[in-house]
Order: sequence, then C-alpha cells, then structure tokens
Amino acid sequence: MTRTHRWIVAALTATLLAGQALAQDPAPVVGGTVTVAISADPPGWDPTLSTSQEIARVTYGNVYEGLVRFDRNGTIVPALATAWQVSSDGLAWTFTLREGVRFHDGSPLTVEDVLFKFERARNPDSGHVNTGYYAAVADVRAPDPRTIVFELTQPSRSLLYNLARPDAIIYPQALAETQRSRPVGTGPFVFARYVEGSEVRLERFDDYWNPELPYLDGATFRIISDPNARVAALQAGDVDYVGAAIPPEQVRVLQANPALKVASGTATAEITVAMNNARAPFDDIRVRQAITHAIDKDVIVQGAFFGLGTVIGTHMSPSEPYYVDLTATYPYDPERARALLAEAGYAGGLSFDFELPEPYAIERRTGEIIAQQLREVGITVNLSVVEWGTWIQRIFLAADYDMTIIGHSEPRDINIYGNPGYYYQYDNPRIAELLAQAEAAPTAEAETAVYQEIARIIAEDAVNVWVFSPANTVAVRADVYGFWVDQPTPALDVTQVFRAR
Amino acid sequence: MSRFLARRLLTTLVSLLLASVVVFGAVLAVPGDPAVVILGMNAAPEALAALRQQLGLDVPAPQRYLAWLGGVVRGDLGESIQYQRPVTRLIGDRLGVSVPLTLAAALLATLVAVPVGIATALKRGTVWDPLIVLASQVGAAIPSFWLGLLLILVFAVGAGWLPSGGFPGWDVSVGRSLRALVLPVLALGLGQAAVMTRMTRAAMLDVLSQDFVRTARAKGLAGRSVVGKHALRNALVTLVTVLGLTMVNVFVGAIVIEQVFSLPGIGRLALTAIGNRDYPLVQGVVLLYASAIVLMSFLVDLSYGWLDPRIRYA
Repeated sequence: MTRTHRWIVAALTATLLAGQALAQDPAPVVGGTVTVAISADPPGWDPTLSTSQEIARVTYGNVYEGLVRFDRNGTIVPALATAWQVSSDGLAWTFTLREGVRFHDGSPLTVEDVLFKFERARNPDSGHVNTGYYAAVADVRAPDPRTIVFELTQPSRSLLYNLARPDAIIYPQALAETQRSRPVGTGPFVFARYVEGSEVRLERFDDYWNPELPYLDGATFRIISDPNARVAALQAGDVDYVGAAIPPEQVRVLQANPALKVASGTATAEITVAMNNARAPFDDIRVRQAITHAIDKDVIVQGAFFGLGTVIGTHMSPSEPYYVDLTATYPYDPERARALLAEAGYAGGLSFDFELPEPYAIERRTGEIIAQQLREVGITVNLSVVEWGTWIQRIFLAADYDMTIIGHSEPRDINIYGNPGYYYQYDNPRIAELLAQAEAAPTAEAETAVYQEIARIIAEDAVNVWVFSPANTVAVRADVYGFWVDQPTPALDVTQVFRAR
Repeated sequence: MSRFLARRLLTTLVSLLLASVVVFGAVLAVPGDPAVVILGMNAAPEALAALRQQLGLDVPAPQRYLAWLGGVVRGDLGESIQYQRPVTRLIGDRLGVSVPLTLAAALLATLVAVPVGIATALKRGTVWDPLIVLASQVGAAIPSFWLGLLLILVFAVGAGWLPSGGFPGWDVSVGRSLRALVLPVLALGLGQAAVMTRMTRAAMLDVLSQDFVRTARAKGLAGRSVVGKHALRNALVTLVTVLGLTMVNVFVGAIVIEQVFSLPGIGRLALTAIGNRDYPLVQGVVLLYASAIVLMSFLVDLSYGWLDPRIRYA
C-alpha cells in the first residue's frame, strides 16, 4: 500500500473515531501486565502445523520469531536474521543469523535449528503447513555457523514475504514434538501457562536478544468466544485490550466510554461474492458485469457497518503493499445492469442460489443486502444459510454452488486466480503466466506492476464481486500504548505494548 | 425390588449403547473435516490425506466405532485431536466448573420454585396468584443468554461488583472462583426457577383438587397439616420428576451460559470440539450428556418407590 493511501484511510477513520491521540504516545514504561481478549482455543499452538489465526495472534512476534518478520506497517524487518542479500541472478538468498540468540529453554539458536525448520517446511509429508511456499527452493544450506543460503530453481520474489509469515518461525530442533502443547521460541515472551478454554499466560523472557524489549512483565490472553462478552469484559475492566473482531455496532458504545481508546486500521480480508464462473449464467461475462453494476457497495459499508471498512474493486485489501483502487471498473449502475442482463438474454429475469456461510456475521449481513439489491434489477435470488462444514466440503472443495460470499483473509492471496480448479472455476492461463512473471521480477516496482496487472484483469473479467475490506477495530484501556492498529498479518503483538503511569 | 433394579439397569445400559451408536453416527453425519479445519482452506490435497491418515480417519466407520466402543468400556475415550490430551482428562478438568454451576443453579431454582409454586397454588384466587404466574411466564420466556448479558451489564460493567466472565480456577483462588460463578448461577437458575414454579404450582393444584384433600379438610385438620402432610407428600412424586427435568435443562442450558460467561466448562468444550470437528472429543462429551440424562431418569424412577410406598416394583 502506498503511504498516501494509508493516510487517507487514517483520515477517514479519524473523522469517525474522533478524539484519539494515538500518535502522541508517552515514553515507554517498563513493568506491568495487560489482559488481552482472544476468541477461541486453537488446534494446538504450533503455527507450523495449523493455519489457525488464533495461534498467530498469540504467538507471532511475542513467543516465536522467524528469520524476518512483519512490523506493524507490514514492512519486512530483521528478526533472527540481521541482514540478507539476493544474488544478481535472483537464484541465491543469503541470510546472516543473529548472534547470541537463546531459546526460552536456554539453548542457543544454531544453523542446525534453521536447516531443520526448512527441511520440514519443504517436505509435504512433514505435516508443515503451506509447503508450497517453498516450491522454488532447491536447497537450503549453511556454509558457516552464521550463514543460511536458500538456493532457488527460479527467481522468487515472494520468498522473503513467505519467510515473514507466521508459519516461517523457528524453534529448537530438539523440542519440535512438544511445540503444540508447549511453545518454545526466541521471542520476548515465554509461553508460561495455558488453561484450556480459559487463558494463556506469557511472561517476560529475560534473555531476549533485544535488551530493550519487552516493556511488560507479562500478558494474559483470555479466551472469550462471545463478541458481546468481549466488549463487556473490556467495559468492566476485566480485559485491557481487544485487538480484533469487535462488532461494528459496538464501536460507538466503546467510543463513548472515556476509560477506553478506540482506533480503526486496515486488515487483510476481502469480503468476496464468489460466482461459479464455469456454471450458467455466470459463464457469461455480461451477467457477472451486470451483477457487479447492481451492487451498491458504499450503501453496504456505510449503512450496515457504520463506515468501518474500505470499498474495494478487486481481490486486494488496502493493507497490501501493491494495493490499487479499481472500484471504478464497474461502478454501481442499476440501469446498466438491467441493460447487460437483457443483452445476455435475461430480459425476463434470472434466478440462482446464493448461499451464506453460517459462522460469519459480516458475510451473512452483506449477503442479505446484496440479495435485495440484485432483486431490484430483476434477479431472483434464493438465499440460504449453510453450515460451515458443508460450505468447506461442497462449495469450497467441490465447487458445487452458484453464488456464495466469504471473507478471504489471507494476505497476498491473489495467486488463487491462477488456479483454474479453485472454487471460482475461473480459467485464465494468462494469470498463471503473470504470476510467474511477478516471481521473476527484477525489482519490487516491476513486481508491483505485474500484480496490479493481474488485479486489473480479474476486475475487468468481473470474476467475483469484491465488496469491501472490513476495518480492524481495536479498543484498549486509556493507559495502554504501543499496540497494533493495522493487521498486515494476524497478530496481537504485545512486544512494544506498555502501560503509562 | 432387586428384579426391578436389574431390569431397570439393563434398560439403562441398552439406552446408553443406543446413545453411543447415535452419537457416533451423528458425528459422522456432520459434514466437514478436521484436517481442513487444522490445515486451512489453502492446504494441499496430499497434506490433507496425510493428516487424515494420521488421525485415523481413513479407517472404515464401523471399525472405528467398535474400536471406540471398546475404549469406552475400558474408560478410554481416545485422544482429542485439538488438544492432544486424553478426552477423559479434558472432561475431568471441565467438570470442576460445570458440576458446581449445574448443581448450584438447580438448587437455586428449587429453593425459589418450590415455595413460590406451593404458595401460588394455595393463594389461588387472590391478587398474588396472577402476578406470580405472570412473573414466572415472563421469566420462562427470557432467554438465559440475554439474562446473562443483562446481569453482566448491571453487576459487572455498571456496579463493578462481580467479574464479567472467565474463571480463575479452584487451584488459583477459591474465593475468586466462587465469585466468578455467582452471575452464571443466577442467569441459569432464575430462568429454570420460573419454569419450575409453573410446574410446581400445577402439581400442587392437581393434588389439592383431589378427594383425599377434601376429606382431610372435612375431618377438620388444620390447613398446615393438610398441605404439609397430605398434599405435599402426594405432590412429591411429580416434584421429583420436575426436579429431574430441571437438572437436565440446567445441564444443557449451561452450554449457552458457559459461552456467555467464558467459563471453561463442558458446554464450551462441546462447542469448541464441534467447531473444530474434533471427533473423539465431540463423541466423548455428547456421550457424557447422554449418560447424564439416562442416569437422571434412572434415579428419578428409583426415587418413586421410596417416596410413595404405593408404587410397587413388580
């Protein structure tokens, strides 16, 4: 995302959430604790074995670190590697390992731990998630105890990005089997206690490689599944920090409370109305264009979500570094929608099923409004709500559906349009070609240009309707500082959080 | 008596066996796949297949059922996919929250409902009767999660007297753990009290209208004696049935209350397990619910003979 855009988002949210002076933080204070709300028990705590966002929210940066990491702006910064460079042919990435790093069990970080990690990460039988991220890696080796070299079969621009993701973290080889129940990393906090269904406690790690961090003595993550109960816990003072998934209708209530601070930033999700491009009537681009013209996205964001989101026009959220605003491609124009439908032979009307995923309130609410908007241009929409397991099995994996809606929350996931088997059933070989070009791009600017080209093609093909990217609303007690407002990656990073006196 | 006991025990065991088939079948019928939940939407098919094999999901269902049943008989409910701990241990930990919550709520409901129910039956025709009937009707109609949120807003957010949710654990602090249960017990118990009041009142009215009560009054017994010795003892059988139902209602109602108050109890364990398609854990918890309900009806049946000597077990 460009700097300008970030400030536009900030300005928009500032007008809505007036009265917060988040920029003028006081000097950090050492000591104290915070209680943070999270929403569920994850399936174990090892981020290399599950993509559950709840694992990342608690452990990313706090407990675990990789060679590099995202900072609060989404910029990739050093973590366990102090520096890196890429060879001129783009086929070798060399990382310098930080010296004097210790794991929470006291053992030193060695190149063996790093080599072991990437051996697992590249092996599809190891249980490691997202092994596909390392498809271009031919070998990982350590020419000396402080150097790691990734040798590639072809240039891979996304390698560095993937190395910053939550599953790219490094833990001691000797303790690999027990990470699910007892995480041991190099981060500024030790995973001290986990009471299932209740809370996780992190305590300050005294041997952290950066002697200035963390500021807090500890942090407790309380598991509160009910969104209203999370807000109530914040108001009652039982919780100090709710960093994700605050219901939009609760935001004003929280803002009115002088003991709290409320801020809104960007997140990575795109609320996407997915259409089965292989199935009639969606195999006709005019129908897909008509549907896009029929949907008034501004009304949805302003009316149903109190303006807490950014209207988008392609599969990119404003948190992406290569974000491009394509909302003008097929703007809201019901007349044009009717004309396109008539042209496609549906002057007499059109009917299809629209299935909403049961667990997701934002998607359900958006879908209900969209169904109404589609009816206004003469489309009969048969709305139904489907249970999550069914959604995954029949819609997502088997692509047996007409239209559905879901938030795609993975960052940098526009590559899914290069996969014709994906549930959109969008078959355009040009996208796969461009994705390969982006990987081989000589510079970041060239890479950005290719991604924006992909974004433009799918927008013009009206593959889906990308409605909006929900804002990430954060609420904390007034004396809490240093928390993340944007969510470039799912994280409740408390490494720089402190409580003012 | 012993023949009755043996037969009743046998039907209880058969019920439990049937319940185990239903539990296992129902979990199978739920669409979804724990491997997808764990590995995420963008997982590679090979990785999914490997995890399914690791979880034993590639074994045919009847074979899995028999293996599971064999474990159940030995007291082994398998290992949770999500927590990687024995299901029996997970359930044991959570009972420390759910049992006190359920018992206290049932006790609260009984202490409120029995006196109020009897009083309204006796005061039938006075101005109190319709008022209490109305109150119990409203009380029964209020959903417990809403009452829970209301209690949180008034006593935790507003007054700040009690925590808004969570549970520190008996090992950490008994006092704070007790405080954490006050609002959940109120939210769960009061709604049940309303339902139970109506049932108690109906049972009492039924008995009071019977011939022997009229006879007792006619032979000049004091009102208190008529109610205490004759009417109440005869209403007890119905009341115990009501109490059994209340126990079951409270036990099941705790699922919602544990969610609202973020209590680490059995109900929340069940919801988390279902969400993650943690088959062994879902089966274990649902079997626990089924067993509790079957056991409750067994105990209620047994109590009939003890309470009313006219009931003979032939």
